[in-house]
Amino acid sequence: MSKGVEITKALADLDEERTLQLVGEALAEHVPGDEILQACQEGMNQVGARFECQDYFVSDLIMSGEIFKQVGAILEPHLKVGGTASLGKVVVGTVKGDIHDIGKDIVVNMLKSAGFEVIDLGVDVPVARFVDALKESGATVLGLSGLLTLAFDSMKETIKAVAAAGIRDKVRIMVGGGPVDGNVCKAVGADDWGASAQHAVRLAKEWTQTAAA
Amino acid sequence: MKATSAVSSIDGGKTPEQLCTERARRIKDACQLKQPDRIPTILRFGHLTADLAGITRQEMYENPAAEQKATEDAALRFRPDMVMGGLGTPAVSRALGDRSTKWPGYGLGANGSFQYHEAEFMKAEEYDAFLDDPVDWAIRTYLPRVFGALEGLTMLPPLGNLLLGRAGLGEYLALIANPQVASAFQALSSAAQAQVEFIGNTMASMQRLAEAGFPPAPFFSGATLLAPFDFIGDTLRGMRGIFLDLRRCPDKLLAAQEKVIPFIIEAALATCRAKNAPWAFIPLHRGSDGFMSIQLFERFYWPQLKRVMLSLIDAGVTPFVIWEGNWDQRLEYLAELPNGKTVGAFQSSDIFKVKEILGDVMCIQGGMPVSMLAFATPGEIRDHTRRVCEVAGKGGGFIMTTDIAEMEGCDPALIEVWMDATREFGVY
Repeated sequence: MSKGVEITKALADLDEERTLQLVGEALAEHVPGDEILQACQEGMNQVGARFECQDYFVSDLIMSGEIFKQVGAILEPHLKVGGTASLGKVVVGTVKGDIHDIGKDIVVNMLKSAGFEVIDLGVDVPVARFVDALKESGATVLGLSGLLTLAFDSMKETIKAVAAAGIRDKVRIMVGGGPVDGNVCKAVGADDWGASAQHAVRLAKEWTQTAAA
Repeated sequence: MKATSAVSSIDGGKTPEQLCTERARRIKDACQLKQPDRIPTILRFGHLTADLAGITRQEMYENPAAEQKATEDAALRFRPDMVMGGLGTPAVSRALGDRSTKWPGYGLGANGSFQYHEAEFMKAEEYDAFLDDPVDWAIRTYLPRVFGALEGLTMLPPLGNLLLGRAGLGEYLALIANPQVASAFQALSSAAQAQVEFIGNTMASMQRLAEAGFPPAPFFSGATLLAPFDFIGDTLRGMRGIFLDLRRCPDKLLAAQEKVIPFIIEAALATCRAKNAPWAFIPLHRGSDGFMSIQLFERFYWPQLKRVMLSLIDAGVTPFVIWEGNWDQRLEYLAELPNGKTVGAFQSSDIFKVKEILGDVMCIQGGMPVSMLAFATPGEIRDHTRRVCEVAGKGGGFIMTTDIAEMEGCDPALIEVWMDATREFGVY
């Protein structure tokens, strides 16, 4: 479907006007909503790949997220009820005491466009809320974001609470954010850490595939 | 550089006055790219002092006497050459109903960490109004939006009308008498009092620290300003907003920067003159690697920042720049700055690469990541300190400090290891 390829390219090139125009045209031509969405998801994959090899930067990820959000809103009424099966559920949030959200939002967008069902708890999330969300959703992946050094303590407390709730072995936990590195990951008790949104997607895919295997 | 074994006897027997003079000299020499007797150290405590003293962060902000004691105790314990503490006062934000910041006790719990609440205080569709008359827009639209107590200012008619003199003033006066508008001016007056009190406390604190042997940091004594891109991005468009502007309305973004550059420079120079302090503190936010491509950096960030810095330097002011984040891919641009005219603090950049490329250009501050001071072993800290002293400290022009101006979460025992190691390996 050459329209799909055009849409993928337009989104990957961050051409907002063209992407939205092509999506409108595709809908007018009765292309199924799910196919159009898939073309957009492929565009987001390419954005992620370009970010990994440093052709794209955070500002570009924000632009891509903005385009994808608009496309998502346009396509929603045209998507199959029930949709395609998701790759898995991921709970994401910025930890207690920290209100930074942009990095987290980028990860949420990337995970969604990669096919995950994401439960975004927002910012300054109390420890108990993370645990409740994991229990309610049955998510097997947890992503904790933080930019302040104070976030390290909150990450540690959150992970301890997950263990205390008896579900630590059912959940793989990743941490991310400005000051997070290998030292921090080890100290707070996470399974892994990511320096980029694409890394978060890779980890989520690895972990859900291993679990499914 | 020789390692001395008797680190505990360094400075032994000296009076606080002597120590203060020596320490100030050491820092000044390094700033001027000279080689002092040993590598100077600066501790940028942030909220750590509250934790060490066993008081809440809120108390640290609201009780100047407790804060002073906590800072002095920490300084005497770790014995750096200089202490940089304090992040301002929540009292001003409280008086104005500030929506852009959160402090312990104002939007956060008693032990929260000060944060900016970045929002789109200027919408993309407001560029035209901003460009047309930024000052009127600032007073009648922006300030009321950011500060809840200043909402009454929206009731003022266009400020240009004041040019009518007596004829135009009448209308203003009637409005200023309106309780909503009057309360805005009252809030400004309360905030001014809070600010003056804060300045008084800060000066008194610096005086007491000097009496204890620790010279005041010159770097914040003058003006504070932002890169033109950050001026538009930090508190006007927000990060999301300005990054979308890069693609959606690049010409307006460039025009907005041109509009504000004269204010930035004039305001900074006026402050430096008024305070008789030729220093300009410039924290940078969005110019580091990772936020935008080099092409965008070359068009939207660097030329504007460089122009501001050169204007300040021409007027005899020394910029103290915090190159936040990682600037490894942009260090060649920094090398364009005139030699010996700026001081730079580096966060995540490779300090050894910084020394190699910028050692002759600027005094370099940095070297110790706070994550190491929180989680590493004493052996790792000593090894890293030794390497930083030998490579980054070579020839002078280097000040040992943390990567960020916040040491909360650092282990005091590891701080002591670091300070001792710097005294040991940092002697020239």
